[in-house]
Amino acid sequence: MHGEALVRNVRLVSGLVLLTFVTCHLANLAIGLHSLAAMEAWRATLTSPWTRGAGLWLLASAGTVHLALGLYAVAARRSLVLSATDVAQLSLGLAIPPMLIAHVIALATANAVSPGFASNYGQIQAVYWSFAPVYAFLQLFVVVVVWMHGAIGLYSWLVLKPVWRRIGGLVLPVLFAVPILALLGFAQSGQEVLDKLANDPAWKAMILENVGKIAKVTRELAEFQSRAIWGYAATVLAAFAILAVRILRHRAKPLSVAYDGGARAGGRYGLSILEFSLLNDVPHAHVCSGRGRCGTCRVRVDAGADQLSAPAELERDTLARVDAGPGERLACQALVRGDGLQVTRLLPAFADASAARAPQDWVAEQAAPAAESRT
Amino acid sequence: MNEHSLAAWSLELLATAKVRLEALGLDLANAPEEARKAFEATHTALMSGVGVRGATYLVILLFIGIAVEWLYWTYAYSPLRALQATPAHSPLEALRLGLRHLVLRASGLLLFTAAAIGASAAFNWPPRVHGLVISATLFLLVLRLSWVAVSIVLSPRRPRLRLVPVASAKARWLAAALMAAMVLLAIGRFVPPIVEDGAVQARHFASALRLAAYSAAALLLFVACFAFFGKPSRRAGAASARAPLFPRSFPLALLVVAVYAVWLLHAAVAAAAATAAVTVALLLCLRDVVYFYWRSEADPEGERGALPAIVLSLARFVTVLTGLGAAAVALDTPLDALIESGHPLTRIGLRLLGVAVLALLAHGVWIAVRSLVDERMAQIAPAEPNEPPGAKSRLLTLLPLLRVTTAVALLVLLVLSSLWALGIEITPLLAGAGVVGLAIGFGAQTLIKDIVSGVFYLIDDAFRIGEYIQSGSFKGQVESFSLRSVKLRHHRGPLFTVPFGSLGAIQNMSRDWVIDKLTVGITYDSDIEKVRKIVKRIGQTLADDPEFGRHILEPLKMQGVEEFGDFAIQIRMKLKTRPGEQFVIRRKAYAMLKKAFEENGVKFAFPTVQLAGGTEPGAAAAAAARQVLARDPPPAA
Repeated sequence: MHGEALVRNVRLVSGLVLLTFVTCHLANLAIGLHSLAAMEAWRATLTSPWTRGAGLWLLASAGTVHLALGLYAVAARRSLVLSATDVAQLSLGLAIPPMLIAHVIALATANAVSPGFASNYGQIQAVYWSFAPVYAFLQLFVVVVVWMHGAIGLYSWLVLKPVWRRIGGLVLPVLFAVPILALLGFAQSGQEVLDKLANDPAWKAMILENVGKIAKVTRELAEFQSRAIWGYAATVLAAFAILAVRILRHRAKPLSVAYDGGARAGGRYGLSILEFSLLNDVPHAHVCSGRGRCGTCRVRVDAGADQLSAPAELERDTLARVDAGPGERLACQALVRGDGLQVTRLLPAFADASAARAPQDWVAEQAAPAAESRT
Repeated sequence: MNEHSLAAWSLELLATAKVRLEALGLDLANAPEEARKAFEATHTALMSGVGVRGATYLVILLFIGIAVEWLYWTYAYSPLRALQATPAHSPLEALRLGLRHLVLRASGLLLFTAAAIGASAAFNWPPRVHGLVISATLFLLVLRLSWVAVSIVLSPRRPRLRLVPVASAKARWLAAALMAAMVLLAIGRFVPPIVEDGAVQARHFASALRLAAYSAAALLLFVACFAFFGKPSRRAGAASARAPLFPRSFPLALLVVAVYAVWLLHAAVAAAAATAAVTVALLLCLRDVVYFYWRSEADPEGERGALPAIVLSLARFVTVLTGLGAAAVALDTPLDALIESGHPLTRIGLRLLGVAVLALLAHGVWIAVRSLVDERMAQIAPAEPNEPPGAKSRLLTLLPLLRVTTAVALLVLLVLSSLWALGIEITPLLAGAGVVGLAIGFGAQTLIKDIVSGVFYLIDDAFRIGEYIQSGSFKGQVESFSLRSVKLRHHRGPLFTVPFGSLGAIQNMSRDWVIDKLTVGITYDSDIEKVRKIVKRIGQTLADDPEFGRHILEPLKMQGVEEFGDFAIQIRMKLKTRPGEQFVIRRKAYAMLKKAFEENGVKFAFPTVQLAGGTEPGAAAAAAARQVLARDPPPAA
């Protein structure tokens, strides 16, 4: 496995690792529904493993790799044709690092810069609910962004798998129960912390002392944070700049593709057949939005097959999985490099995820009503 | 209302406007200070445990809403994809698809809203926050619903699914402009009440916010009017029957300005003014929109039939009625109380509404009848001037009659039922009309007889325009009908006007076919068989003639010997032709017969006298002449 297929799978695995961590973290928060003490007790099992040793290493590398590959995906794009889901996924994904950076830096460096700082839930909840509520708002926002990003990613990967039929009914409720329960736990334990602050002066004194320690290094942290955000912004801009250069470079090489039914689409050199379709509003099924996973965009090349890029491993695998015939290509992977292309779309534009889950059955399902009406 | 009270009313209006403008100026002056205070208060309220709690609950609501809508879309997305991929072959089909789109997408929105608002009841909200959350959810609903409506109606990305006649290049920008205006209007509608009810109660700030939002929206719509409706719609070539009056941008922009001015001067009636403006704008564009749906792909300017006309009048009526209703709601008119109060004005209003319904019905029926009649007339009208009158020319006479009769009947019915709907007792009117009708009926017996028998002549299809008929001593070609009489043009020119009542039995000479008989006398030494062959050949020649052939139904043929006369064998020939053509063909046939008989040695018989005996030739001739004279005396004698 190499090339696009490798990139895709590494991104997927790193995303799954990150989602697992977030789930653990949120589950830990959800325990706050019971009590702050239980939350703290479960921290050792659910969250702490991720903050040291192999867990930390895994989490950090997954985060770095996922971000890098996400930016690589932006830079490797050929056009700005995006589905609504993709737009949501991309903008949510890009928004995560700058919002999360304060949280990560504060917790990762707090122990280093301020020895003796007790980063437990009581401490942090006290900061959020009483001393610096602005961070709480930021965290609430991050939960929405991160979880939606993860949910969209997981859903659009799983929904194409045959196994979705069995687990789909379970995954979706869990996917939304987790953040809702976590936020309820957050609110519940926050209330508990507020009560404790009001009724337990000793505890409050301890918290205040710790907050004072943190306050001393706030400026350094903020400086580091702003540097990191600027660096991140520069990287994102660079990725988009590469995309812009690619679009501008091929702008002067207009090509066109002819479809079954007499439709024609114009585009530029190097776009995929699917991008030609979407740029020109030619109806074309694309359940996985051009990731080469679902096989619903496949076309039969009737003429000009030599004007297309050669199929890569990713495309060959998917084509084999959906039992594609000879002369068939994935429209999202075949890049147009010349004129005179004539293709036939093999699936109706309304093909949905069920077509990707069971490509063989799906055709039969479509034919079924016709067969019934004949008898 | 006399001019005195009018002046007073104007003064009062101006005074209100002045007060209102002064208040707006005050609001603007105080807004920044209040805004700062309100912001500080909000910030303080938010940056506390209570604020965090509210925000957490809000995010939970968001998740619940998204979860429910996501679940909905896992089922509804496939139908949506299918809908989006369905190519609409006509605007009417696009309308049907658009309605399904609306149901699918609006259901998702409503589920989101219902879930969020329903779940919000379960939380223990900080004071005042719950109302704010519900406002925010509704704000979101209004915006998303308008986006759904705009994107379905204008369908910027799929021209085939577009529901209004707007060019693709414009549709995208129009959608964006409308959405921007909607956002501004929604801000003006939803945000100021929140600011007013907040801890600071920043009334001036709220008012200034409203002013800013509505002004921006009005400006945007004003510009949009000129940007999107500036040029009169281009129709195909110069075929357009109606010259474009003037660009629609002016009245539309005027409406925007008017509503804005009304709001500026008198906020209470602004909603009603806006409703009225939307109604007028819809009425302005309704014609194009309705005909857009019945435009055939092949012939954009072609016949449209009765349906769109009826739909148009119905749509206009519904628009006006909805506008009235919405304006009443906007003015907070207590409708039910008004109806129960039995105020004379209300009663009159309701009755006028009833009259309007009746007028609409009558209008619909009239348009249906008229366009059906016109359509049929147009189909049968283009007959060549010399063409024999076809079977449809009867319709040509009956249809205008039907049109006028329907119009009169509808008008009478409408007037009577309108009077009835207005509460005027029409029984005496009807009875009076009955009595008068009876009197007139006796007086105009002949006239009635003429009219009724005319209708029956037409139903019997006794004659049609262009036919040659004879009735008693009147004969001629039917030139025209009226309700009472028929005009016959005699073949030598005189025009008879015959009342139907005195037409009597009719001999129609222009129906189907005529048989013409020709009689010729030949000498006794002729060979009959040879004559038969000659006649047959002539008949064939005539039938093959390009000029006469098409009028001959059965060719000329000899029937046989009719009589052995004094000096000739009378042979009889027969010819079947189309009505009116027999004369010309007969003349031609005679000429051909003469020529053919001469060539073949068949001699025409004429009376001869054989003289025998005597020596004086003159005496014998004189005797013969006397004999003839004795038998056939000259007419002068």
